[in-house]
Amino acid sequence: MTEKKWYPVIYMFLITAFFSAIVIGLTQATSKRVEANQTLIFETAILSVLPNVYDPNQKLSGIQMHSLFLEKVQPPDQQSAGAYTVTQNGNITAYALPLEGQGFWAEIKIVIGIADDKKTILGLAVYQQNETPGLGAEIAKPEFKNQFEGKIISEPPTLIDFARPGAPLNQSSVHAITGATQTSVRLEKIINDGLKKWQQEMQ
Amino acid sequence: MATANTAKKYAIEGIWNNNPIFRQVLGLCSTLAITNLVINTVVMCAALVFTLALSSATVSYLRNVTPRNIRIMVETLIIAFYVIIVDIILKAYWPQMSANLGPYVGLIITNCIVLGRTEACALSNPPVGAFWDGFFNGLGYSYILLIVATFREILGMGTFLGLPLPYFSSVYFDKWIMMVMPPGAFFMLAIVVWVFRTIQHSKEKETK
Repeated sequence: MTEKKWYPVIYMFLITAFFSAIVIGLTQATSKRVEANQTLIFETAILSVLPNVYDPNQKLSGIQMHSLFLEKVQPPDQQSAGAYTVTQNGNITAYALPLEGQGFWAEIKIVIGIADDKKTILGLAVYQQNETPGLGAEIAKPEFKNQFEGKIISEPPTLIDFARPGAPLNQSSVHAITGATQTSVRLEKIINDGLKKWQQEMQ
Repeated sequence: MATANTAKKYAIEGIWNNNPIFRQVLGLCSTLAITNLVINTVVMCAALVFTLALSSATVSYLRNVTPRNIRIMVETLIIAFYVIIVDIILKAYWPQMSANLGPYVGLIITNCIVLGRTEACALSNPPVGAFWDGFFNGLGYSYILLIVATFREILGMGTFLGLPLPYFSSVYFDKWIMMVMPPGAFFMLAIVVWVFRTIQHSKEKETK
């Protein structure tokens, strides 16, 4: 039988069907979990840039984090132009704006927390990036992210300026990352384009 | 007794005599990519040992019914099957690690060690032998990678498994940024291969 011309075709077909069936089954079985993981990473990023909702030193389980998110954060609506919001007595007290764009290697996804004055930055979270470890990947480290706290969004063309490492800073600029010019330039573009678009839509 | 002997034979071959990294010089692409942090390397090596052992056994199990002219297709399919299983499990149960390793888990499919071992050993040996061959070649690959990764993380980041080390993470030590970049892996790997081959060579001379 193995000498027949049709044998390799049938064999390949059967073996592909067999292994694919197992993989498809496994994907189906874990798809909910994978989705939940991604949602959780995003929700944690949103919570981490909002003031007084979550203490990063406090260890919360996935479920607790998710219920905290549902309790505190309102999904984006017409008035917030794509930003998630926190309200108190019906008034918005803070915005969390998710932004994304091309980094040096892969897409960078971030969340920026903005105060109710729409000018003061509350924090930055990088929840997806694949930049060079030790260089561009430093954008996800506290040393870099914490620079954004309390910065004021300036007037166009440059809303938030990435200054050379070591250069003097003003209220709207942060230090770029040494040795990661491309990552810094691209992140600066993601933040500036995103904030510009958001401000226009908010008016 | 026979199986224990087979395992031992394959162990010596895979780990020392015919080590995939410094003897066969295979699988170097992943060596460059994932050895910048020890924890990434550990997970990657575990994934490779799993894939290599099980795909070798599976290929060997099917070796008598697989037509020769489509064997590469079948081998690739089997390897991809195990790699996807690893990928799915990481995505579902260890999303942080899945994000760290990025596309490299999927790239185990193209790791030349896996196809190399299935072609060289699994096609002509019974499943148990092929399993041990894959397993020990995976281990042979893993310990070399761990050596490279340990040096790269300590010199490049000043940490080991993410924990800061006393001298290397202090201000007195200027971190070798080069070490966490791909060229650092080239240098480290070259040094490791050099050292191991020198040891191996001197041993061979002695036995002669």
